[in-house]
Amino acid sequence: MQVKELKQNGLEHEIEVTVKANDIDKRVDVRLKEVGKTMKMPGFRPGKVPLKILKQKYGKAIMGEVLEAAVNDTSVKVMKDKKLRPAMKPNIEVKSFDEGKDLVYAMKVEVLPEFKVKDFKGVKLEKPVAKPDDKAVTEALERIAEGRTSSEPIKGNRASKKGDILVFDFSGRTADDNVEHDGMQADGHQLELGSNQFIPGFEDQLIGTKAGEKVEVKVSFPKEYGATDLAGRDAIFDCDIKEIREPAEAKIDDEFAKSLGMEDLAALKKAVEEQMSKEFAAHSRLKLKKALLDHLDDNHDFEVPPGMLDMEYNNIIQQIEMERQQNPQQDSGEDAPDLSDDEKAELKQIAERRVRLGLILSEVGNSNNIKISDPELQKSVITEAQKYPGQEKEVFDYFSKNPQALESLRAPLFEDKVVDFILELAEVKEVSVTVEELTAEEEEDEAPKKKSATKKKASTAKKSDSSKEAAKKPAASKKKSTAKKKAS
Amino acid sequence: MAAKKKEKVEVQEWMYEIIREPHVTEKATMGSEYGQVTFRVPLTATKPRVKAAVETLFGVKVKAVNTLILKGKTKRFKQNHGKRSSIKKAIVTLEEGQTIDVGTGV
Repeated sequence: MQVKELKQNGLEHEIEVTVKANDIDKRVDVRLKEVGKTMKMPGFRPGKVPLKILKQKYGKAIMGEVLEAAVNDTSVKVMKDKKLRPAMKPNIEVKSFDEGKDLVYAMKVEVLPEFKVKDFKGVKLEKPVAKPDDKAVTEALERIAEGRTSSEPIKGNRASKKGDILVFDFSGRTADDNVEHDGMQADGHQLELGSNQFIPGFEDQLIGTKAGEKVEVKVSFPKEYGATDLAGRDAIFDCDIKEIREPAEAKIDDEFAKSLGMEDLAALKKAVEEQMSKEFAAHSRLKLKKALLDHLDDNHDFEVPPGMLDMEYNNIIQQIEMERQQNPQQDSGEDAPDLSDDEKAELKQIAERRVRLGLILSEVGNSNNIKISDPELQKSVITEAQKYPGQEKEVFDYFSKNPQALESLRAPLFEDKVVDFILELAEVKEVSVTVEELTAEEEEDEAPKKKSATKKKASTAKKSDSSKEAAKKPAASKKKSTAKKKAS
Repeated sequence: MAAKKKEKVEVQEWMYEIIREPHVTEKATMGSEYGQVTFRVPLTATKPRVKAAVETLFGVKVKAVNTLILKGKTKRFKQNHGKRSSIKKAIVTLEEGQTIDVGTGV
């Protein structure tokens, strides 16, 4: 085997390897003998086929196999001899090969950059810590209460005003042809005045009515109304006001706590506090981690293998496209299939940062012998399974059948462990901050480069969480109010 | 096709008929050590004809030809009596130093 370095360009090495013909032949013979032991051929007992005949018949097929194996073996060996650490699978191009001739191939390989991991001992990091105080807890309680407001009939017979909830029947028709359309009538509908649930103008005309009154509401559907046959047309709704209710303040007391499934107010407060401190701890850790990653990113400057960069970049692009497909109505404005050059450059930077940090973390992990043990992995599988209640078994099966999926769990675990390791070495100063400061999003004022993988993930997760919350609350209140109505 | 230089006999159609196919078995390959090549030939083929055919088609010198007829087995299925067809093999011994690449075809 002869090895010739063709050129070296940064992290890219191009190497030409020549494997002697008789080397190849030897490999072929060995492989043929192996195959011949089980080969069935008419006229011969298995294993008794002469090598010559085997070669004649299967030589070509075996040759391909051997070629691949030879290339793999030798390329690995070359890498080992030259002490190259490939960042990715080497790109191999066979230049010339034929039976009885030397095998010559060129190998393009990107090596992992050599870099020294800086000492962590001098690293000073600030860990923002916030404790949930009484004010925050009450606020949270109030927020919960707000989501669970109920309504009660007003006392006396006053006219409705903004903020009231009207219970009324209505039936509507389009003004020009007197035709009733689907969805234009309802009995006992509850409408909060000023909530803008109905088409503009509708609710305004109901303000100032009294219970028992019949009102004719004239409105015109907006041009961009959902149902195309109604859009832009005038309509008349006959409304029969049944009742006027006003929202009742939910009092934060033991009763309220009980309705939430807690024993009393103190228990509820404690639960909320716990929940909040957990959240804050997660936030602090996130911030600390981000600070650490920023620090690592700032202090290490080495060339990133372009292949890895490209891969990461493509990953990001794919992710973005997936997100777009999943919620097409969201940011439909920038539905353009192509990203602008600015955005591309930005993503490139993100990708570079991710790759660099990944390399640093894995380097730290390797040099300090940080490993993920099987029990740890098992634990994360269990947490993963708990995310899908009722399907735990399927999740377990999935992970036991797909080692690759298991591997994907391993990565974040590893990252966390390495980060912990560094944090232990580094000087971490706890700084207490207010709740607002802790939870404030930093994305706006920071350069896009600073966005780390974890950060991004976390923020999107947060977003979806909060939107879920928001979606949940009105639904809950609605449920409650309808239940109440039924009872009455 | 023109006759080969040193051959007296021209290539003729019947020669292709005679050399049906090489007979490649364990036993046949054992003969290759002694320069023997085995062919499947028609039952009607004679030793001189086989010799002529091999010499012309492969351009080699033949030392000797041995032939044998492998009788087909009789097979019965209920009342029907059947017989598998017999085959004739010709073991051709070549002059020393001569080879025929079996399997490359005529």
